[in-house]
Amino acid sequence: MGSLFRSETMCLAQLFLQSGTAYECLSALGEKGLVQFRDLNQNVSSFQRKFVGEVKRCEELERILAYLVQEINRADIPLPEGETSPPAPPLKQVLEMQEQLQKLEVELREVTKNKEKLRKNLLELIEYTHMLRVTKTFVKRNVEFEPTYEEFPPLENDSLLDYSCMQRLGAKLGFVSGLINQGKVEAFEKMLWRVCKGYTIVTYAELDEPLEDPETGEVIKWYVFLISFWGEQIGHKVKKICDCYHCHVYPYPNTAEERKEIQEGLNTRIQDLYTVLHKTEDYLRQVLCKAAESVYSHVIQVKKMKAIYHMLNMCSFDVTNKCLIAEVWCPEANLHDLRRALEDGSRESGATIPSFMNTIPTKETPPTLIRTNKFTEGFQNIVDAYGVGSYREVNPAVFTIVTFPFLFAVMFGDFGHGFVMFLFALLLVLNENHPRLKQSQEIMRMFFNGRYILLLMGLFSVYTGLIYNDCFSKSVNLFGSGWNVSAMYSSSHGPAERRRTVLWNDSVVRRSRVLQLDPSVPGVFQGPYPLGIDPIWNLATNRLTFLNSFKMKMSVILGIIHMTFGVILGIFNHLHFRKKFNIYLVSVPELLFMLCIFGYLIFMIVYKWLVYSAETSRVAPSILIEFINMFLFPASETNGLYAGQEHVQRLLLAVTALSVPVLFLGKPLFLLWLHNGRSCFGVSRSGYTLIRKDSEEEVSLLGSQDIEEGNNQMEDGCREMTCEEFNFGEILMTQVIHSIEYCLGCISNTASYLRLWALSLAHAQLSDVLWTMLVRVGLRVDTTYGVLLLLPVIALFAVLTIFILLIMEGLSAFLHAIRLHWVEFQNKFYVGAGTKFVPFSFRLLSSKFSDDVA
Amino acid sequence: MLEGAEFYFNVDHGYLEGLVRGCKASLLTQQDYINLVQCETLEDVKIHLQTTDYGNFLANETNPLTVSKIDMEMRKKLCREFEYFRNHSLEPLSTFFTYMTCSYMIDNVILLMNGALQKKSVKEILAKCHPLGRFTEMEAVNIAETPSDLFNAVLVETPLAPFFQDCMSENTLDELNIELLRNKLYKSYLEAFYKFCKNHGDVTAEIMCPILEFEADRRAFIITLNSFGTELSKDDRETLYPTCGKLYPEGLRLLAQAEDFDQMRRVAEHYGVYKPLFEAVGDGSGGKTLEDVFYEHEVQMNVLAFNRQFHYGVFYAYTKLKEQEMRNIVWIAECISQRHRTKINSYIPIL
Repeated sequence: MGSLFRSETMCLAQLFLQSGTAYECLSALGEKGLVQFRDLNQNVSSFQRKFVGEVKRCEELERILAYLVQEINRADIPLPEGETSPPAPPLKQVLEMQEQLQKLEVELREVTKNKEKLRKNLLELIEYTHMLRVTKTFVKRNVEFEPTYEEFPPLENDSLLDYSCMQRLGAKLGFVSGLINQGKVEAFEKMLWRVCKGYTIVTYAELDEPLEDPETGEVIKWYVFLISFWGEQIGHKVKKICDCYHCHVYPYPNTAEERKEIQEGLNTRIQDLYTVLHKTEDYLRQVLCKAAESVYSHVIQVKKMKAIYHMLNMCSFDVTNKCLIAEVWCPEANLHDLRRALEDGSRESGATIPSFMNTIPTKETPPTLIRTNKFTEGFQNIVDAYGVGSYREVNPAVFTIVTFPFLFAVMFGDFGHGFVMFLFALLLVLNENHPRLKQSQEIMRMFFNGRYILLLMGLFSVYTGLIYNDCFSKSVNLFGSGWNVSAMYSSSHGPAERRRTVLWNDSVVRRSRVLQLDPSVPGVFQGPYPLGIDPIWNLATNRLTFLNSFKMKMSVILGIIHMTFGVILGIFNHLHFRKKFNIYLVSVPELLFMLCIFGYLIFMIVYKWLVYSAETSRVAPSILIEFINMFLFPASETNGLYAGQEHVQRLLLAVTALSVPVLFLGKPLFLLWLHNGRSCFGVSRSGYTLIRKDSEEEVSLLGSQDIEEGNNQMEDGCREMTCEEFNFGEILMTQVIHSIEYCLGCISNTASYLRLWALSLAHAQLSDVLWTMLVRVGLRVDTTYGVLLLLPVIALFAVLTIFILLIMEGLSAFLHAIRLHWVEFQNKFYVGAGTKFVPFSFRLLSSKFSDDVA
Repeated sequence: MLEGAEFYFNVDHGYLEGLVRGCKASLLTQQDYINLVQCETLEDVKIHLQTTDYGNFLANETNPLTVSKIDMEMRKKLCREFEYFRNHSLEPLSTFFTYMTCSYMIDNVILLMNGALQKKSVKEILAKCHPLGRFTEMEAVNIAETPSDLFNAVLVETPLAPFFQDCMSENTLDELNIELLRNKLYKSYLEAFYKFCKNHGDVTAEIMCPILEFEADRRAFIITLNSFGTELSKDDRETLYPTCGKLYPEGLRLLAQAEDFDQMRRVAEHYGVYKPLFEAVGDGSGGKTLEDVFYEHEVQMNVLAFNRQFHYGVFYAYTKLKEQEMRNIVWIAECISQRHRTKINSYIPIL
């Protein structure tokens, strides 16, 4: 329990790192993850620190690596992820690595640039061929169907001679042709019309195959257009508009021969380009494949290096500039490892003077470290979500391991549901090394991280389910019920008994709808059921009344025990922090207040259970009335539970009433007394202190003397108190607020534990409803169709059970259990104002590519 | 829209308002500026900006770093944010966004026309255009030779079209005419924007109207200041003043008659808002320029816009503040790169 009960003892250590070996030492420390560095240069802005240059270099390397990874991913080359993480690179290799990477980057950029250029060229050529192909049809149509050039009527109507006719107009007629993005066609045409006032003819057709956009790399649809226009001026404008809309303009061949020639030339060039492009791509792939082999280890190495330099930036230089001084928090248990790591680091770099460390005393609060394993981690997380524990205070996670699943199970008590949950958790636990589970996302991950919590929750639910005797809302008759129905019949009894009690005969059984078993009739009640609730209650109509009474009392008892335990844990805290007066002035009155009221309530409940039997049950007084009477002192005498009850109750009330002022005023007044007089510890020294009270130095001297003498531990607490500014009003206010909160809290928190009852009731009722609405209906149908009907009914039942009862109800019970721990339990003792110990460890660096690409 | 924006504002625009408020939290603080000013090189600036919300936006820039690269990347970032807002906006917020881009569009059009006049290549000038004011037809601007040409051929389908009604003329576009065109466009733009906000009512009007009034008056002052000693006649000058400001109408008439800075100052003294501003202007070399004072006042108004909820002004204010921040960073970066440290502190802090 040791390490989980309190956080580990920390000490502040100063590391003296020889400047030559600092890097290696930190590398060794990072691999082990032992210490948390303190920032000694807090007021130095980030770019004025010592190792900014190195950090910059690391960033440059990261940039190159990100570029490499991006290119490798684009080429669809698998990135091998190494199993082991390589250590941070030795300084000598860094330069080499940098050169190598830079060379690779330059080469890669060159090749990709070439490739892009070639691709662009190719694309242009392809576009050109498409354009030529499509425009050929335009011109034919133009002339055939549009007698625009009336004043120059064509000599022949032969379409083959179109060009000669065009040429005759050529003095004025010009063509611009090219490709345009599909989305821009409309705006383009409109603008042409507006600017050129209709002196142009635009024809366009959609290209059937989509082509890549050379600028964005997107594959989109294109239109081929041909603009014929008259005149120089308009020609300029048309060209400008084409530029504006980013059209790809290509020269338009004037004759058929020219067109043919161009087409052929294009074809051969495209062929050539294809081969060149293939070769380039092959080469690029080779380069990338080679890079992909080492890129993973490089990424990790650079990350480690950057982390080391960030840590070095937190160190300060000593006067001689020869060594770096780092201040670290280290768990005392690991000091030996720390020394060894420093030695290793020094040895590795072959330094003549070893780096060393020494611990320094400090007044500052160290960070909190609680070592967890995969089992306790989940529970610790529940506690940490409320607040990381203050240094060395009692850690509620230990108790949470048991109480959390238990309180959950009280609300979730169902044998069947608990077993399903247990199986699910067991499945997760058994497959916990499966890689798919480890990398799962969001919700599944949540379940996976809480798998041990789920496991225990399931187990405890099985237990409480057995106690409630609930399995999918049905009871299981394992040991045979303790009630005997046949004993109620009059025939089985002697005449004397027949007279005393109401017994059944045939007419009674036939006529009445409801029959009542009377436990006072001999033979009817044969003793309690061995485990949990008797299954016969499942048949009873007053089952709910019976269970309500039981569950309500149970939740009050559990709640008060839980809270009292919290207050007792507070005593451990006071003992540890050497504030004994807190025990007498805070914890004890708190305990008295709680136990005298609610402890007595528990006593009454248990007493009534034990003392009254079936015969005397009619005269048993109501606990509620008794409890209320405890405060009201009624004039009329009631029976009471036992003799002398009144006196006991008066005494308890008096104790309660007395503990309240102590709680309110005790601690502030005591502190005030200490502050003013300090006359509490031995007469001889009191005079001594009083005389020299003004000298702060003397006081501290006195303090150190005390420690040497091993004197009263209380003294320690007082001295610390007086070191701070003493403000009576503030202390009084805090204490009063705390006390009010506690006293009211006792009542409201006890009431709050009734949620245990409410939720378990809701759970039982809901599963009962599900059973009667679905399975009972399915079972009622007669046998021929029933078989067919039963299958979907059972399926629906299973689905609803899982989603409503297991997931939804489970979640709500989980939340309420968390609340009971955070609010009702932990506010009795837990401060939770610490900071978490975050060691400098390479393991915390992510080793994924996805992170650095994003 | 009806009164009481708080009831249904969030239905349509709540997400974006939340977002813009989050973005506002990323503006550089005084402490950041103090750190930036201490930088020795542009690399240091880059490192410091990395610790702010700019993140490693310069990470993919190859060395050496220049001020224009920083400027470009910052603009791109702002543009990305703005585009996101705009793409997720519903009416009438999207109209509001369109109005916001119009001022940048006007600037871009004028820039392109000036470039065409000086026979510079379109590509060169395009790089200088503000990305928020980009539109497809923009590049064809240099086809036009007269303002009406420009309107008919190029801009008729852009959001700028309605602002052209006052400036349809057949004058050839020389430098003076372009400047006149810009100011006329701006005048009708501001008036239209003002009207839009006024009609929208609600908190939007309460926030945006003072900001736009100030913008209009600032333009009036700046136009007056710039027209001293030019061939612009006083009547012409008066036609350029936006009429939606606090100065309208008497102040504008007086301004039109002003002949030097002192007369202008006297006009401003009639107005409680502008009096302290003109008093803050230092004369000669030492003090602040009128422009700086105006910027400071604008920043103040924009920061205050965030104190109200359920209005569109936050988007306007955020964009303007971000622009001011970019101007500050560019100023500091310029001072650093030119080793001209004496004036490095005359940036305008925002938060």
